[in-house]
Amino acid sequence: MIINKSDIAAFLDSFRDEYRVFAPAVADGVSGYRILTAGSELTWQGLNTQRPPKEVLFPQSERLYSYEIGANGVQISAHYDDRKKVVFGIRPCDARSFHYLDYVFLGQEYQDVYYRKRRENTLLIGMACLEPAKTCFCTSLGGGPFATDGLDLLWVDLGDRYLVQVLTPQGKALVASKPFFSPASEADYRAAAAAEARARAQMLPALDLSRVKPWLDAGFNAPFWERVSEKCIGCAVCTYLCPTCHCFDLSDEAATDRFLAGVRIRTWDTCAFPLFTLHASGHNPRPTGKERFRQRVMHKFCYFVQNWGEAACVGCGRCVVNCPVNLDIREVLAQIAVQDAGAGMGQ
Amino acid sequence: MDKQEVLRATVRKLLQNGQVSLVIGYANGTLPLRTAPVFIRTAEEADLLVWNSLCEYNLANYLPRYANDRIAIVVKGCDARALVGLLQENQVQRDRVYVIGVSCEGVVDRRQVAALVGGREVTAVEESPENIVVRGRGFEKLIPKKEAMFPSCRVCRYGNPVLADITIGDSVAAGEDAFDDIAAFENLPAPEREAYFVREMNKCIRCYACRNACPMCYCKQCFVDASMPQWLSRWVGTADNLFFHLGRALHLAGRCVDCGACARACPVGVDLMKLNRKLIKDARELFGYEAGLDPEGRPLLGTFNPDDPGPFTIRG
Amino acid sequence: MKNPYLPMPMRIERIGVETSDGNIKTFTLSFIRDEDRQAFRFIPGQFAEVGVFGKGEAPFGIASSPLETERVAFTVNKVPGGVVTTALHAARVGDIVGMRGPLGNGFPVRAMEGHDVVIIGGGFAFTILRSLVAYLIHPSNRECYGRIQVVYGAREPGLLLYKDELAAWQKRQDLELTLTVDRCTAADEWTGCVGVVPRIVEEIKPEAAKAFAVICGPPVMIRFTLPVLEKLGFAPERVLLSLEMRMKCGIGMCGRCNIGHKYVCKDGPVFTLAELSELPAEY
Repeated sequence: MIINKSDIAAFLDSFRDEYRVFAPAVADGVSGYRILTAGSELTWQGLNTQRPPKEVLFPQSERLYSYEIGANGVQISAHYDDRKKVVFGIRPCDARSFHYLDYVFLGQEYQDVYYRKRRENTLLIGMACLEPAKTCFCTSLGGGPFATDGLDLLWVDLGDRYLVQVLTPQGKALVASKPFFSPASEADYRAAAAAEARARAQMLPALDLSRVKPWLDAGFNAPFWERVSEKCIGCAVCTYLCPTCHCFDLSDEAATDRFLAGVRIRTWDTCAFPLFTLHASGHNPRPTGKERFRQRVMHKFCYFVQNWGEAACVGCGRCVVNCPVNLDIREVLAQIAVQDAGAGMGQ
Repeated sequence: MDKQEVLRATVRKLLQNGQVSLVIGYANGTLPLRTAPVFIRTAEEADLLVWNSLCEYNLANYLPRYANDRIAIVVKGCDARALVGLLQENQVQRDRVYVIGVSCEGVVDRRQVAALVGGREVTAVEESPENIVVRGRGFEKLIPKKEAMFPSCRVCRYGNPVLADITIGDSVAAGEDAFDDIAAFENLPAPEREAYFVREMNKCIRCYACRNACPMCYCKQCFVDASMPQWLSRWVGTADNLFFHLGRALHLAGRCVDCGACARACPVGVDLMKLNRKLIKDARELFGYEAGLDPEGRPLLGTFNPDDPGPFTIRG
Repeated sequence: MKNPYLPMPMRIERIGVETSDGNIKTFTLSFIRDEDRQAFRFIPGQFAEVGVFGKGEAPFGIASSPLETERVAFTVNKVPGGVVTTALHAARVGDIVGMRGPLGNGFPVRAMEGHDVVIIGGGFAFTILRSLVAYLIHPSNRECYGRIQVVYGAREPGLLLYKDELAAWQKRQDLELTLTVDRCTAADEWTGCVGVVPRIVEEIKPEAAKAFAVICGPPVMIRFTLPVLEKLGFAPERVLLSLEMRMKCGIGMCGRCNIGHKYVCKDGPVFTLAELSELPAEY
């Protein structure tokens, strides 16, 4: 289908009563997927957002439940968010990221009810990447600038209009329910195909990661880890901005005006901080940056693969762009790919 | 003089004659507009070292980790002051560090460059003494370095390292810093100042890149991680973000050397130097003190003088 | 859909001080809601996240017997600087706490049927072993298991947990209990063994042929006991350990308790030696 760019503001406004619309936007100088209160606010023109879309389903700070202790027990009220949402303009790499979060939050014995309620009530309208950045490496992880995984619709910018690819029944129902769409022409499809070819040609060649998992399986004790992360300063930039990182902390906050009431909150956490694994006894299984950096690489490219079959990375490049010391995961993976299997390893 | 060549030659010699086992310096990064900290252990690796206006890190940050090794470190003027601060606070032993000072005319601010090219991706950079040329898809722009200089560098008075075993490069002229930026802000009405800080604090994602990039933040347990008592919530929001930044700024009072590494490390561009420079101004005006100048000196808040200003004290 | 983050409200019914230094207390909790009491079933070796509202949660092995269905007991060591353990130790009978559980895999009590069981515990880690012993010797279970030998040691007599229970177990014919301490004074009037646990195990020489060995204790005790068991011929598949990790969610999502690709909260905390040797030594 086709929708004219002149109809976009009205299209977004048409969700107003039923859905909250998230779109790439800048607020307080930082870009992320923000709530649009009016279709006319959509001004995003750029590369991908800085803040990742995981926060639409898994906010950085979240109240899980309130508690109130009384004479006969404690009253516990969970806080759920099952309001309908549309994420408009999400990039293919970011759309894929939800698939990895689904494994963790929905694919185990227990379900994360908070994530689930948001996830089941969220539609994803994707925007193909016409001009991938030099830091984008989605094609190294099975994605692509026009990939459709995880999307309900994929839109391709054809200048004055978008080509809309319908991908799921929910996407189809959405298009059918709005008056803005008309059939696309052969020329539209050819133009989109040409745009995809140009986009792919613009990307740096995909990394060959075939040796990474086998090496990581055997390389836990390799001397490689001594030096590779020497410049890492152990902050949370890569993990917080990563669309697939899901680690969190649980803590209680007593109310400020009462002693017997409060909330339990969940906040993003990171394996980069020493406190992440610190035992009460003072023992820390990951005492230095070397162990913690190894954990990050292992978790994403080895353990996650062992548990779920795929590496927990979509190649969005946020960690590459934002790392304060330019620790480039692509460089790390390329170095791993040329390590000798079995060289210098052992207890 | 080609500072980069002299730097490489200096390091080559240090490693060849075994004077040090490790040299911390700057190397080319994987992105345009980036260098990266590099850890060099052989003379051959000296060729990885670079010196340019993108050498934005304060490498003194890494020193406490190598307290037991004999190392050399490349320092700009501000970095050398941080090193002096670490010496004053006994975090570094003078005879274990060979200080390679490089005179510095200022660091280019990536954030300002991004703004000057409208946020478009920069794919190549070329540097000349006065300018940088940035290129991207369909554009090329010449930017005089002065227009994209990190703000603290514009007024820097310590471009020549105050402490060094060797100084590379000609002396650079000292700037002048009357803290006009801080005075102007202080004169704004309170609601405007509040609105400004609320906006800045709303950006913060509590990644602690600022703290971790700062050489003077070396506590084994930061106050944000204390649980008994717990000083601030893990909730990432205006109030707790402000508590963190105010706490850190106050912990840096009289210690911050205005290097700006924190502000450059911040992924979202929080205006950290507004807080830090306010306290630097206070240290100067109230106590006549500047951090990181005298290795034999004491930290400001580690001393007390009966003449210290204190409108809250009553003199008998 | 069950929300695994919501705690069950529990009332503290009894608080018992276990050790002479007062730093270890056993909290016996009763269920406030009937449906929780009816639904709560666990096997030895499982744990729960016990929470003090407003302070936080921490994981504690369940110390009570699974056949005791009215109450659940946890033995808590007060850790210096530990928010939850300090708050628990300051709590009083009647106070309300939260409990999420049972969590974890527990001991493979079914696979252990038909075998001898050698239980080796050190210090404070004996909590879940108490649950295990109580389960094994319960009349409805005892005949499923062969010889049961228990070696339990502490630094000194005052630090042994569950003294009343130990005294009762010593009188039993269907259980061989050996208590030992690292050191004691005449004032302790100690009649048990003196010697570290690994050495006592070596002296007892438990038979490996049809036996499972279960070890819980401080890392140093485990490190020196494992070689003893190996020499006695215990197969790595039949040596069981319970590991500790910093935990928060307890359900394999918050990411912090992993060893390699396994999560101690849900794939453990009980692991066989064979399983552990496949994992990175990062614990």
